[in-house]
Amino acid sequence: MTNTGGGLGAPPRTALPALGVAAIWLFLLVFLVYPLARIFYDAVTDEAGRLTVAHFVEFARDRFYQRSLVNSLLLGLGTVAATSALGFAIAFLLVRYEFVGRNLFSYLTLIPIISPPLVGVLGFTFIMGRAGTVNVLLMDWFDLVRPINFVYGVHGVLLVETLHLFPMITLNVVDALAKIDPALEEAAESVGARGWRKLRTITLPLTTPGYAAGALLVFIWTFSDFATPLVLGVHDLLAAQAYLNIVQFVDRRLFRMGIVISALMVVLALGFLIAARQYVAIKDYSSLAYSRVARRRLSGLRQALVVVFLSLVMLASFVPYLGVALASVGRGWSLTPFPVQYTLHYFERVIVETPKYILNSFLYSALAVAIGIAVGVPIAWLLARTRIPGRDTLDGLNTLILAIPGTAIGIAYVRAFHFDLPGLDRGLTSFWIILPLVLAIRRLPYTVRGSYASLLLVHRSLEEAAASVGATGVRSFRDVTLPLVWRGVLVGALFSFMTSLQEASAVLFLSLGGWETMTVGIFSFYIAGSANEAAALGVILILVAALSVVVINRVAGARMGGMFG
Amino acid sequence: MRKIALTVLVMVLVALASGAALAQAPIESELVLITPVSKFIHDAALKAFADYARERYGVTVKTSGLPAGTPVAYGRIVEWKGKPEADIFWGGESALFEKLADQRLLQKLELSRELWDSIPPAIGKPKPIHLKDKDGYWVGTALEPYGLVYHPRRIQRLGVPEPKDWDDLLNPKLKGEVAQCAPTRSSSSNATYEVILSMYGEDKGWEWLRKLAANTGHFTARSRDVPTVVAKGEYAAGFAVPSYMAFEEKLAGFDLKFVAPRNAFVTPEPMAILAGARNPRAARAFIEFLLTERGQMVFMERGLFPITPKYKVQGSPGSTAELAVQFTGGLRSYFDTEVSNVYDEGIAAKRSEALKIRFRSEIEAVWKKP
Repeated sequence: MTNTGGGLGAPPRTALPALGVAAIWLFLLVFLVYPLARIFYDAVTDEAGRLTVAHFVEFARDRFYQRSLVNSLLLGLGTVAATSALGFAIAFLLVRYEFVGRNLFSYLTLIPIISPPLVGVLGFTFIMGRAGTVNVLLMDWFDLVRPINFVYGVHGVLLVETLHLFPMITLNVVDALAKIDPALEEAAESVGARGWRKLRTITLPLTTPGYAAGALLVFIWTFSDFATPLVLGVHDLLAAQAYLNIVQFVDRRLFRMGIVISALMVVLALGFLIAARQYVAIKDYSSLAYSRVARRRLSGLRQALVVVFLSLVMLASFVPYLGVALASVGRGWSLTPFPVQYTLHYFERVIVETPKYILNSFLYSALAVAIGIAVGVPIAWLLARTRIPGRDTLDGLNTLILAIPGTAIGIAYVRAFHFDLPGLDRGLTSFWIILPLVLAIRRLPYTVRGSYASLLLVHRSLEEAAASVGATGVRSFRDVTLPLVWRGVLVGALFSFMTSLQEASAVLFLSLGGWETMTVGIFSFYIAGSANEAAALGVILILVAALSVVVINRVAGARMGGMFG
Repeated sequence: MRKIALTVLVMVLVALASGAALAQAPIESELVLITPVSKFIHDAALKAFADYARERYGVTVKTSGLPAGTPVAYGRIVEWKGKPEADIFWGGESALFEKLADQRLLQKLELSRELWDSIPPAIGKPKPIHLKDKDGYWVGTALEPYGLVYHPRRIQRLGVPEPKDWDDLLNPKLKGEVAQCAPTRSSSSNATYEVILSMYGEDKGWEWLRKLAANTGHFTARSRDVPTVVAKGEYAAGFAVPSYMAFEEKLAGFDLKFVAPRNAFVTPEPMAILAGARNPRAARAFIEFLLTERGQMVFMERGLFPITPKYKVQGSPGSTAELAVQFTGGLRSYFDTEVSNVYDEGIAAKRSEALKIRFRSEIEAVWKKP
């Protein structure tokens, strides 16, 4: 870094950054604010474009919708409660106690979350369904005439979501627990607060921010997931109704109701976001120092209990993977505990015959990550290093993205970008670039957060030193800051990449012939009745995601929790 | 952009290969369908057409299918407002095709006289099922009944006789064991509801349908899911399933049976070229191909029936065509028998709105999982 007069010939210091800031705002306005505004506009106007609240009145009067709203809220809360119990317990065990296989378990905890949409629940039905392995064995052993209904119904949705999402709580709580200064707890003990009292007065309050962020994500996820309930035959939920009403186009009234429900979901998500606002805005990472935790060694019996408990949870949350793996190679699997005939035909079909799913997925996700870095790293820099006006709004918009249901943003894009682009005679929705764009917006928070956290760890004095030898803002960013923050950026990027590969809800509405990604492929195979091909694609997706997790873990250490919050 | 680049590439390659000037290409090198007809059929049809186009016209056609349920496909075509992202609409009820033609969203097929005349105008008594449009906007491609499927081993375990007729689904022992798709989401379900209402009359028909709902354990999100869940054995029987979807499961190695009860709705799987289609010549060539013997073979090997009396489902012993004949109850052609049909296209079109509303209020809103 020899800055021999580098700053002297540079353009005026404010012109370029100002242009950059304007570009970032323009991007967010066009691809985030405008589409959302558009569905609200649609929700309050009729076909002729007149303002009306009739749709909301209709929603409020319809008993089926009322029930859907109540069910969605209850399901969301139920899942939060269940994942909290499970997630907290596991986090506590992992951070505070030493037992056989602790490292392995802390690793395995990550795995349930990478289960792609639709495939997870399909895998579940293969094992736990009415004709799943468990029921078949029960019928064979006990001569049961009617299978036990483990999954079809709201209870099934709760089960599937809980086993899928509890790591979100675990990761956040582990992250928070690891940051608690042991001195605080020792102090509590010294004044006689032990056991529950210490937990209630010291430990829980300190983990609340991390926990609240995780809980919000679990809630929003469950609230906006339509694939799981539909596979399990549950239609009276808001997300399912939004999806079903929109994908049937014929009845314009229902179609409009689908948009209204989407808008309503965004409003509700916003409400929850504001309620949890103080916890989920970009956290103050200045206390990012992880404390060394002294783990308590457990007695033999207790250790055995812990290992059994964790093994059972892991076993249950691995059920979908087992089901998917078997379905991807099993032919004509019906009413036997395991497939009788095996074939690689389904893999051949999705890899050799139609490689487009995999190619498209990688192309769009990579582009999304590139866009995300181009927009996200500067945003993180603005948030961490400047006091420019609108900084809070920028932070707010970023956090808002986490809360918007994918379905809603997909629909918003369809409505917002359908008009003909000047000189092109077709709308943006006719070009495949819209897919990487929507993915980039959806995953932007991860890049921003990853970079933001690293930026805070880079001491300002380094940049000041660069400036003192004449480097401009841009130049010191490139030569000093970037080399130091690449790790955070990379983690954010990898995480965005992995979750982009998994994205289905927003993409599903926008995908046209030839643009299918793996998740869209999973949906179209499933819809076309070929659950096996869907499973084969699912296995590939799971493997890619698992690989990404390994890499992320290598790069980021145990800090993945920060990504979700 | 990529599409354009690919198209250009393909065009250049074709030009190099044949040495022909681009302008003289007899058909375009791309073809896109939007269709509720499942991948099993439409992929096979597109592949067969691509081979045919290469031989017949020396053109390599890049084909693709946009799978969409009938209502969705219809809705997207309307949304496209004459600037469609697809060339051909295929499948569903013919009434929707007439609605599209009224909105000027279809173009006339203009097939050769000989081909057009090889398809009879209608079959079925007392009500006719039209096999082509009198104004020439759509043409039927294959015939298929919407019947029942069941899982023989599950049925046996429940101690129920194998279903032969609609009423067999109301057996109390089948409580919670029937799968169906809501008529609001599936045209095959809608058509079968219509058949029930025509057979029993409005009031008794709805009573029948409510009883069926009481036996229903699962309303699937899509009609295609019905044979899937029955094939797997999740549910014992399914309602309103197109024959080929059931046959696809059979070919995939599942043990399930199909039966078309009396008055089962028979669809001609209509096909039309969208107004403003980017590849109108390829689209027409595709339709012409499907109506030839080679095209009809694609259907006959997959559980559908020929649209013209010229051909019958036939193959060497052990062939999939013969398996299909066995699977669908021994029938080789709908022109060999008297087709009984009570589905009235006019009434159905008029009643469809009311049917959906009534389903929503009388079944969907009150249905509880048994």
